[in-house]
Amino acid sequence: MTAFIDIVLSGIFHAAVLFLLAGGLQLVFGVQKIVNLSCGAFYALGAYFGITFVNFSIQQGASPSYLLALILLAGTLIGLVGPLIERLLRLVYQREEGFQLLLTFAIMLVLEDLIRMIWGATPMTLGNISMVYGKLNFASTTLPVYKALVIGSSILLALALGWMLQRTNFGRIVRATAENRRMSEALGVNGVWINVAIFTLGTMLGTLGGALVVPTSAASLDMISEVVVEAFAVVVIGGLGSMRGALVGALIVGLLRAFAVYAYAELEFLLIYLIVILVLIIKPSGLYGKAAE
Amino acid sequence: MTLKFKLIIVFCLALLCSTPWILSPYYMTLLLPAVAYSIILLGFNLLFGYTGLLSFGHAMYVALGAYTVAILTSRVGIKSMELNILGAALVCFLISIPIGLLCVRYVRIFFGMLTLAFGMLFHSILFKFYDLTGGDSGIKVIRPNLFGVDLSQMDKTNFLIGPFFYYSIGLMVILAFVMWRIVHSPLGLHLQSIRDNPRKAEYLGVKVHRFRLIAFVISAVYGGIGGALLVVPVGLADPELAYWTQSGNIVFMTIFGGFNNFFGPIIGAFAFIGLKDQIVSQTQYWRLVLGLVLILLVVFLPGGIMGLFKTKKTAARSQEIS
Amino acid sequence: MTPILESKAVSKHYGVYKALQDVSLQFFENEIVAIVGPNGAGKTTFVNVLTGLLKPTHGEVTFHGKSIAGVGPVKLAKLGMARAFQLVQIFPQLSVQETIIAAVISQRNLQYNFWSSVDSQAELTERALEVAAIFNLDKKMTRQASYLSQGEKKLLDIASAFALSPEVILLDEPTSGISTSEKRGIMDTLMTAAKLAGIKTMLLVEHDMELVAEYSTRIVALAEGKLLADLPPNEFFNDPELQANIIGKRVNHA
Repeated sequence: MTAFIDIVLSGIFHAAVLFLLAGGLQLVFGVQKIVNLSCGAFYALGAYFGITFVNFSIQQGASPSYLLALILLAGTLIGLVGPLIERLLRLVYQREEGFQLLLTFAIMLVLEDLIRMIWGATPMTLGNISMVYGKLNFASTTLPVYKALVIGSSILLALALGWMLQRTNFGRIVRATAENRRMSEALGVNGVWINVAIFTLGTMLGTLGGALVVPTSAASLDMISEVVVEAFAVVVIGGLGSMRGALVGALIVGLLRAFAVYAYAELEFLLIYLIVILVLIIKPSGLYGKAAE
Repeated sequence: MTLKFKLIIVFCLALLCSTPWILSPYYMTLLLPAVAYSIILLGFNLLFGYTGLLSFGHAMYVALGAYTVAILTSRVGIKSMELNILGAALVCFLISIPIGLLCVRYVRIFFGMLTLAFGMLFHSILFKFYDLTGGDSGIKVIRPNLFGVDLSQMDKTNFLIGPFFYYSIGLMVILAFVMWRIVHSPLGLHLQSIRDNPRKAEYLGVKVHRFRLIAFVISAVYGGIGGALLVVPVGLADPELAYWTQSGNIVFMTIFGGFNNFFGPIIGAFAFIGLKDQIVSQTQYWRLVLGLVLILLVVFLPGGIMGLFKTKKTAARSQEIS
Repeated sequence: MTPILESKAVSKHYGVYKALQDVSLQFFENEIVAIVGPNGAGKTTFVNVLTGLLKPTHGEVTFHGKSIAGVGPVKLAKLGMARAFQLVQIFPQLSVQETIIAAVISQRNLQYNFWSSVDSQAELTERALEVAAIFNLDKKMTRQASYLSQGEKKLLDIASAFALSPEVILLDEPTSGISTSEKRGIMDTLMTAAKLAGIKTMLLVEHDMELVAEYSTRIVALAEGKLLADLPPNEFFNDPELQANIIGKRVNHA
C-alpha cells in the first residue's frame, strides 16, 4: 500500500512538472501551429538558471525558506528569452512545417551549447535545500513538502491559465486566433503581438517546469533531448493544441512512468511509446484534440 | 542525362577513388561514414524530397541495419559482407512494412510524430533488453569477409582505407544507379505527384497510400544497408544510432545538400561530415556552430548546396513565360 | 439504350438533415449534361455520390450497371470516370508533360515500372503531346506547372483528367475564375477535346446559365436536395416556373 501511494505521489509530482512543459508546447502549437522541438532546452535553461539564481540569492543572505519563491522567480525571469527566440522563429512562419521543425531543432542545438558554455557539461544540483520545508506524513508514507508545494504551484498555474483563457479578453483573442488566424487578424487582432506573447508564455511555462523540478533532481544536458520525448508523448495522448489534454496527458504519462519505474524498469519509456503509437492509430487527435486532417 | 553531366560524375568518382593516395588516413576514415550516409540519405530523400513525407524516425533503420550486421557477425558467425548486407536489407524490408502501413495513413505532423514514436520505441528496446541487444554497451561487429575473402588479419587502417573503401564506393555507385532509375521511372513520377498534390494524384488514379508505403520501404532498406556499412569501421553497434536526434541529423544533412536534387543527399553527406569534422577540431561547441549553420540554411538557403545551382535552372524555366 | 451512369433513388442524409432526397437520373452516351441549382441545393453532394466519393444513405449509383457507391477517386479513375474540380489542382513542381504523363501511366497501368525512364518511353511522351495539343499546351511541355497562367493551369488540370481516356468526365464549374471573355474559348476547347479524346458523356456543374444554354444537350436542375427538372435546353428556358426558380436566383450573375 505504501508503495502504491508512493507511486501515485511520484506520478503526480512528475505530472505537475510535465504539465507545465507540455502546456507551453500546446499553447505554441495551438496558436502558432508550430511544434517546438527546443522546448527541452527551455526546460533545461529553467533548471540551470534556477540553481544559479537560488545559490546567488542565498549567498546574498536570503533565507533558504524562500526557495519556492526564488525558484518561481527564476523560472519566470529566464523565460524572458522567449521574445528573442520568437524573433528568430518569425522568419519561418510562412514556411512549411518541416522547415519550422528543423529551425526549432537548430535552436535546440544552439541552446544546448550555450548552456554548456555557461554552466559546463557536468550535471548540477541544489543539494538538500528543498528539505528546508520538511516532510509531510501522508497516509503510511512521507512526502517532502517541497514536492507538495510544486504540485500546488502547478495546479495554481493551471487554474490561472484556464482563467486567463476563458475569462479574459486576451484569452478570448488567443482562443480565436487558435481557431482561425486569418479571421482574427481580419478583425483587427495584432498577429505579431499575439505571437510574441504566446511564445513567451509557452517558453516561460517550460522554464518554470525546469526550475521547479531542479531542487529535487539535477540539471543536466541530457534533459534537453530526453524531456522532449516525454512532453511529446503528453501532447499526443492529450491531443495537439489542447490545454486540458496537456493536463490529462501529463497525469497519464506521469503515473504510467512512476508505475513502470517501480514495477518493470525495462518497460519505462517503452510503455509510453507504445501508448503513443496506440493513440496515434486509434485516435490521432488524442483525447481532447481536434480531428486530424 | 547529358554527356557533360556524365563526365562530371565520372570525374568525381575518379577523384574519390584516388583519395587514398591524396589524403591522409585521418581524412580517409571520414570518407567512410560519408559514403555510408550517402546511401542512407539517398533512401531518405526518396521519401522526403520525392514523396513529400518527413520522417523523424529514420535513424531506426540505420540502427536496424547496424545491429543486424553486429548480431550476424559476432553472434551467428556469418562473416560474408554480402550476406550481412542482404540480411540488413531484409530485416529493414520486413520491419518497415507494418510500420509503414500504419504511418502512411497520416500526413505531415502526424506522420512525423508516428515515425518519431517508432524510432524512440526501437531505441528503448535496444537500450533496455540487455540480453538481446547488449543494452547501452551495444553489440560488437566482427570484420566481415569481402567477396568471400578473409581480411581479418589485415591491419585495420589498411583494410578500411583499401578494400573496404572501394567496396563501399562500389556499393554506393550501384545503389545510386538503382535510385536514379527509380526516381526517373513511372513509379518515381507517381511518387512526385503524391508529393505535390495527393488529392489530385488520387483522381489521376495514383494509389497514394500504397505508393507512399513503397517509398517508405525502399528508404528503410537503403537506411539499413547504409547502417551496415556504417558500423563496420566502428566495430560496434550501439543504441544511440537510433536516438531521435540522429534522425534529426539525417534530415539536417539531406536539407544541407539539397533535397530538391538527386545528388543533394550525396553532397550533403560528404559536406556535412567534412564540415562537422572541421568544426569539432576547432571548438568543443560544435553544436552551436552546426545549429547556426542549420538556422542559416533553413532561413536563407532552404534548397541546400544544390539549391545554389538550381536557381539558375528555375530562372531558365520561368524565362519561358512572356 | 442502357445508361452509362445512373443514380437510382439516391438519398443522402446527415442525421436529420436531408442533403439529397430520392434523386433518380440516367446518363447516356453522347450527352453533355449541365447540373444546375442554387448553392445548398445538393449539387456537390449529388456529384460526390455520383463519383463514388460518398456512399448514398439510400439508393444506388451504378456505372455500366455495376455499383460504384463509395469506390473512391483511385478506383473511379480505373473504372473510366474522371473528375476535375472548381479550384484548380496542379502538381506545382511537375512540368506540363509530367502532369499529363502521370495520368497516362495510370491509364496504361504502368505505375509499377520502376526501371525505365519516363522520358525514354515514346508511348508516354507521344500520348502526352497528343493530349496537350488538344488544349493548346503542346508548346509548353517543359514548363513547370506553377509557372503557367491561371487559365493554362485550369486547362492542364482538365487535360490531365482527359488523359485518363475516361468514358465519363465530370467537371465542377470549369469556367469559374476565368474572365468572361475567355469562358467561351475554354468551353469550345472542352467540346473539341471531348470529341478528340473519345469522351462519351460529359457532366458539367455550372452556374453560368448562358454557357449552359449554349453548350449543353440536357439540363438537370436540383433544388433543396430534390430533382427539380430534367429537360433539354429549349424546354428548360421556356418554362416560366423554372425561370423564376433557377434563373431568378441568377439575376446578378455576370
